[in-house]
Amino acid sequence: MNSTPHLSEREIDSVLIGAPAAGITAHLSQCGHCRQRVAEARVPITRFKAVTLSWSERQSATLPLRSSTAGSMTWKRRAALAATATAALLIGLAIPLTKSELQFAPESAGHRAGSSTAEVAAVSAPALSATMKRNSATAQAATTDVADNEQDEQIARDNQMLQNINQALDNPVESPADAYSLQPVDGHQQAAPLTELN
Amino acid sequence: MQLALNATLTNVEAPERTGSELDDIDALVRTYRPRLLRFVTFAIGDADLAESITQDCFLKAYNGRASFRGDCAVNTWLTSIAMNLIRDQQRLQKFRFWRQARATAIDVNEAANFLPSKECSAESRILIKEQTRQVQAALEHLSVNQRSIFLMRFAEDMELAEIAAAIHMPLNTVKTHLHRALKSVRAQVGGSR
Ligand SMILES: [Zn+2]
Repeated sequence: MNSTPHLSEREIDSVLIGAPAAGITAHLSQCGHCRQRVAEARVPITRFKAVTLSWSERQSATLPLRSSTAGSMTWKRRAALAATATAALLIGLAIPLTKSELQFAPESAGHRAGSSTAEVAAVSAPALSATMKRNSATAQAATTDVADNEQDEQIARDNQMLQNINQALDNPVESPADAYSLQPVDGHQQAAPLTELN
Repeated sequence: MQLALNATLTNVEAPERTGSELDDIDALVRTYRPRLLRFVTFAIGDADLAESITQDCFLKAYNGRASFRGDCAVNTWLTSIAMNLIRDQQRLQKFRFWRQARATAIDVNEAANFLPSKECSAESRILIKEQTRQVQAALEHLSVNQRSIFLMRFAEDMELAEIAAAIHMPLNTVKTHLHRALKSVRAQVGGSR
């Protein structure tokens, strides 16, 4: 035992964080009680780390790189997409039937349903390896720009489809992200381009 | 920015990496995907979206592999890219896209059964599951930044300076976030004892 008071909870935290003041390190070297407190405080975090890695390894083992996003869509999202396609199909049927009963109606409907299908397909991410091969065929700087542009276009398409889905379903469901109170990052925390990471 | 070499990686051997090693995308994904997926999943709390971001991250890393100078661990580099992608998602509000899809449950309970057998008693497994759930619950009440920083430090074993460099944040701010996160986590775990 030593004569200095035991570590506060915040000081214990600073040890776990890896930034203890010099006095704290000195105290720990002499106080078995506080070393024990630090060890006990570390246990749940170490367990969380082990369990979540185990979880992630199993996810990676059972869900390798997706050949298509559609393959791992949740059923609700699939249902939403199906509803969008159905809505598009109905609109496609309704418009030509309202205008006239010309023989082009089936083709028109098919075309519109096809557009919806194409939109769904556009949302699906391409197979990673296929994308890699395509991208690696071009100059790297150029591909980065192209990839960014494609990403922007993809996002625009995704957001457009979101609106379609929302209109089709008109069934607000709480966003999973809402639970995390996601906020735009502060200006000074803006992410830098990749080249600044190193 | 110069990053200290991360010598604390626990699950991935980190021999000297060269650019050519990054050319093997299959090996890169095989080696680093579990940890990257974990980081993204528990940072954003959405397993579906995490899959997508993780995939984007490997694409971006592969395309930008020439910019990797080997002055930090590959895992640190990948985590930095992932963090940028997470922030991009926040900025672009792409999370809205998932409004109609419930978050895939991140149920880590089953995973506890596959831990190495040194803590294999049923009792300790129950405790492990409970504590993991408590840490997970505590993290859910943090901001994305705080969660991410907590994960970088305590799951990815990144040094404080590496975290500060990865998220372009002053070192003291990183420490402040870590203190808040840790206080929350310890209160959650301690409060249920
Ligand atoms: Zn003491």
